[in-house]
Amino acid sequence: MDTIVALGTPAGRSAIGVIRLSGPDSLSIARSIVGENYFKPEPSQPVLRSIKGTASNSILDRALLTFFPGPNSYTGEDLVEISCHGSPIVLRQVIDLTLGLGARPAGPGEFTLRALSNGKMNLTQAEAIRDLINAQTEAAAQQALRQMMGELSSRLRRPQQALIHTIVQLESALEFVEDDLPELKRQDIVGELTEVASDLHNLASTFEVGHLLRDGVRVTIVGRPNVGKSSLFNKLLAFERAIVTEVPGTTRDTLTERLGLDGIPILLTDTAGLRESSDRIESIGVERTRQAMAEADLLVVVLDGSEDLRAEDLSALSQAKSARHIVAINKSDVASFDTLEKSRPSYEAGSVNVSAVTGFGLETLRAAILEPFVAGDSPNAGFLITDARHYDLLLRARNEVQSSWELLQRGASEELVLIGLHNGLRFLGQITGETSTDEILSEIFATFCIGK
Amino acid sequence: MSFDEVFDVIVIGGGHAGCEAASAASRLGSQTALVTMNLDLIGQMSCNPAIGGIAKGHLVREIDALGGVMGRVADRAGIQFRLLNRSRGRAVQSPRAQADRSMYRKEMRKTLEGTPNLHLRQGMVMELVLRQGRMAGIRLQDGRKFGAPAVVISTGTFLNGVVHTGRQTYKAGRAGEPSSIELAEALKRLGFPVGRLKTGTPPRLDGRTIEWSAFEPQPPDEVPVPFSFATDEIAQAQLNCYVGYTSPGVHAAIRQNLHLSPLYSGQIRGIGPRYCPSIEDKVVKFADKDRHQLFLEPEGHDTNEVYLNGFSTSLPAELQQELIRLIPGLEVARIIRPGYAIEYDFVDPRELGPDLQTNRVVGLFHAGQINGTTGYEEAACQGLIAGINAALAVQGRPRFRVRREESYIGVLIDDLINQGVDEPYRVFTSRAENRLSLRYDNADERLESYGRNLGLVGDFDWERFTQRRDRLARLGKILEGTRLKRSDAAYAAISAKLGVDLGDSVTLAQLGKRSGVGVDIIRSILPAEKLPGITDSEIESGLADSLYAGYIEAQRLNVQRVHQHDSLQIRPDFIFRGLSGLSHEMVERFERARPLTFGQARRIPGLTPAALSTLLIHLSVCDHPA
Ligand SMILES: Cc1cc2nc3c(=O)[nH]c(=O)nc-3n(C[C@H](O)[C@H](O)[C@H](O)COP(=O)(O)OP(=O)(O)OC[C@H]3O[C@@H](n4cnc5c(N)ncnc54)[C@H](O)[C@@H]3O)c2cc1C
Ligand SMILES: Nc1nc2c(ncn2[C@@H]2O[C@H](COP(=O)(O)OP(=O)(O)O)[C@@H](O)[C@H]2O)c(=O)[nH]1
Ligand SMILES: [Mg+2]
Repeated sequence: MDTIVALGTPAGRSAIGVIRLSGPDSLSIARSIVGENYFKPEPSQPVLRSIKGTASNSILDRALLTFFPGPNSYTGEDLVEISCHGSPIVLRQVIDLTLGLGARPAGPGEFTLRALSNGKMNLTQAEAIRDLINAQTEAAAQQALRQMMGELSSRLRRPQQALIHTIVQLESALEFVEDDLPELKRQDIVGELTEVASDLHNLASTFEVGHLLRDGVRVTIVGRPNVGKSSLFNKLLAFERAIVTEVPGTTRDTLTERLGLDGIPILLTDTAGLRESSDRIESIGVERTRQAMAEADLLVVVLDGSEDLRAEDLSALSQAKSARHIVAINKSDVASFDTLEKSRPSYEAGSVNVSAVTGFGLETLRAAILEPFVAGDSPNAGFLITDARHYDLLLRARNEVQSSWELLQRGASEELVLIGLHNGLRFLGQITGETSTDEILSEIFATFCIGK
Repeated sequence: MSFDEVFDVIVIGGGHAGCEAASAASRLGSQTALVTMNLDLIGQMSCNPAIGGIAKGHLVREIDALGGVMGRVADRAGIQFRLLNRSRGRAVQSPRAQADRSMYRKEMRKTLEGTPNLHLRQGMVMELVLRQGRMAGIRLQDGRKFGAPAVVISTGTFLNGVVHTGRQTYKAGRAGEPSSIELAEALKRLGFPVGRLKTGTPPRLDGRTIEWSAFEPQPPDEVPVPFSFATDEIAQAQLNCYVGYTSPGVHAAIRQNLHLSPLYSGQIRGIGPRYCPSIEDKVVKFADKDRHQLFLEPEGHDTNEVYLNGFSTSLPAELQQELIRLIPGLEVARIIRPGYAIEYDFVDPRELGPDLQTNRVVGLFHAGQINGTTGYEEAACQGLIAGINAALAVQGRPRFRVRREESYIGVLIDDLINQGVDEPYRVFTSRAENRLSLRYDNADERLESYGRNLGLVGDFDWERFTQRRDRLARLGKILEGTRLKRSDAAYAAISAKLGVDLGDSVTLAQLGKRSGVGVDIIRSILPAEKLPGITDSEIESGLADSLYAGYIEAQRLNVQRVHQHDSLQIRPDFIFRGLSGLSHEMVERFERARPLTFGQARRIPGLTPAALSTLLIHLSVCDHPA
């Protein structure tokens, strides 16, 4: 039995997000992510720990971990619940971490299934869960999803056909040795598999952006106090959400709102200004700002274009440097803006002149925010993998094809090369529907004249 | 009704299925009658005089390990042995042999006649006798009635058989033998769903009229690999086969005369196997090929008859003669027996359980071509399983089955009874999920203990097996325990031969994971005295174990994950319509297939993952009531 992982709370923003690990390796995976070899909390007692990222010293989140040893857990197996802060990005990073440690994304209803097979649930409870799954099936019937599935299937057709084609060549070569078949061209097959692997890789890599489209792109507005962050925030939201005053330090906590830009969900966060402060409340706000910056998919660094740059501006710019960011130069309506224009440095990340008061440059700013997330003219133009399960299957399929490719290069016998190809096809089949042995045999008989 | 003779088990039909069934049932201690139309044709090979081949050779080895007879008989009658796929991995290698057709019959008959409790009876079976829905006996054309509580039907291509050559058609079970019409009707009356299939055979030539020098000889292996684990040596002198080709002239003539082919005129409706196409089919479907391969196969030591493999046809006999003469090397050749096609009834194998007993009639078993398969080996392995279970049923012992994970026999039976057939079914290695584990050379390790427990493997063979198993275990330890180091004399040569650096030190088992490591390399490291009594073939088996071990483990984990719920039972009266959220189409698919386990359900074609998980959840609930 392997260990599975999934988000236990609904995807999207919420105060906390609970990740569940179930299976024999749950505890050892938990140990790795908190970095304590002997971590073993009391059963059912939540404990607070930092979750360590893969980069050295990076901390993804402070989270509550609760250990439910089997058989006294929901699934009847060892189970660990990790309550993180609700950001989808953090949750995804933590899940990715557990995947890297050998967990596998749970299939739909799999936790429940395990609970059922371990006798942890009664009929009424199970019926309720079954209805839930049925509801999912109904949802799956929705037009939008169908279109998306159809499109993914059609994009997978080429690698799938190529896989079947190579399987047919290799199977025939070993199964029909007495027949007068054309000689196997191993180098051609190597070439074909190279393309399959790269098709799958390209498709899988769209998930990097694709998952943002589903979970929402986190855009965080930063800058020193009084540059106009809250004003821009309100302007982008198109209503007065944040309090705006001329008093520096008005915004003391982070504020997040959802908005759609061109149909892409955005989670826009306004932050307290970045500056050292002796005010206790303000300094907590600044701490929150730092956290929001770490979680963001994109930072908008706001500068006040009507004034000279200050040390605090440079500090904000340098803090944003390692992340994906753009620069918004605000207050273009003020007269001094134009006179300072010539002396202004140019920013590598690109900058936009705006006015939160007149609305000047707002369209350009919106476009600049979306720009990194709308795929350009890649081979998968416009198409993105948004589902983690699809992403996982594509990666698995790619790895299988890759291992076959290597075996082929090393001159291994066909039956070994074929393992990865069949596995790869099976993984793709879990997205598009399986290819049966009979279909492959049919393809063989249609391709070659077999039989005496 | 009173019976003229009473037996425990009656087997109808002395073909490849019937011979195994009768032999197994009688050796399990059941008084067994083998009733067949013509005792002189017991063990007749209806088509090509050859046993084995990829996957089929695996089956013969498995039959042998379980205590069946085909392998031993084939070893005695084999006149050209070849191990196929020698250049590929051990898992897809397989033994094949040309057999002397009449010697095969003779040896099979001798084997059966030497079997205690086995009674040969000649006669045509017309009717099945049932009592209270259970098998009670059979009635023969000559009026005799035999009683038995268990009956195995293995009547091959004979049920309502119709032979076609050109526009000529006549009722026959094989050319020159009557077809079995009454028995076919009796099965229909019992309500068995029956379908129609078709197969064909090529002409046989007079060897004295062939220009042999026009063909490429295909020699036998220098050291023949026998079918049976009990065979030490092949006694028969080994012969060449010959390879030749058709010509564009042949193809043109076939195209011109296509209207005379019953396949293309609509006269034949049965479905033929795509992997055994007639020459008409080959010419039409692969029109761009300007020649097709032919094999000239000797039919035996004492005959001039030559089998023209690759030229199966149902064109008119006189046209066959003309076509043959257009083949380079056959310009003056004469046909002894023309080729023909045959259509016959088969019974839907989804009527069967894994023991090959019909669900409809207690005590009635079906084995062989009657189940929609094709091939001697496919027939024989079913005969073995049906014969074993017929005897066990009568003796009130638990039934015997082999799983698809552990044998090709299991794959074949599982496919048949779950998927049914829509064309004649043949084994392929690709049908086996566990292809790497199911090797011809480890069939004994996989199955011999079953044969022993049943009582089909005698002391001598068991002793031989356990010694071999011990030698292999010892070899495994030696391969694990011996290291090849950089300082060793043999290191440089081996490293150069494999074209890789092997590191400072590797065990021979690790070395065996590399493709290209063979007996020669192992022997160059380990002198003979370190490998006492261990044969080259056993070393190859040991290396194959090393080579495949990692892959098999990975696959096992995969399978475990995917199949962990396979054993969940589904009640026969389970109401699929009662599962909310299932589309009408999914319900239909379930109901048509009527799976008895989740594993069977999972293999039903066309089901969506959502439908399966709905079923699974429901089953898990029923399995664990609160
Ligand atoms: C023309 C032809 C072409 C073929 N071509 C191929 C091929 O290309 N490839 C391939 O793999 N296989 C081929 N086969 C199939 C192969 O011969 C069979 O699969 C195999 O022999 C089936 O074995 P069996 O034991 O089921 O039946 P069979 O070998 O057919 O034996 C049936 C036996 O039952 C007896 N019998 C039938 N009815 C009665 C009755 N009522 N009473 C008493 N006895 C009865 C018959 O006399 C016979 O002995 C061909 C068969 C034929 C006839
Ligand atoms: N003229 C002008 N004033 C602005 C603009 N944007 C913000 N302000 C003013 O700057 C002050 C600080 O704005 P605020 O949004 O609270 O800045 P924050 O501290 O960065 O959130 C307020 O008095 C705003 O009215 C702009 O584009 N033009
Ligand atoms: Mg503010």
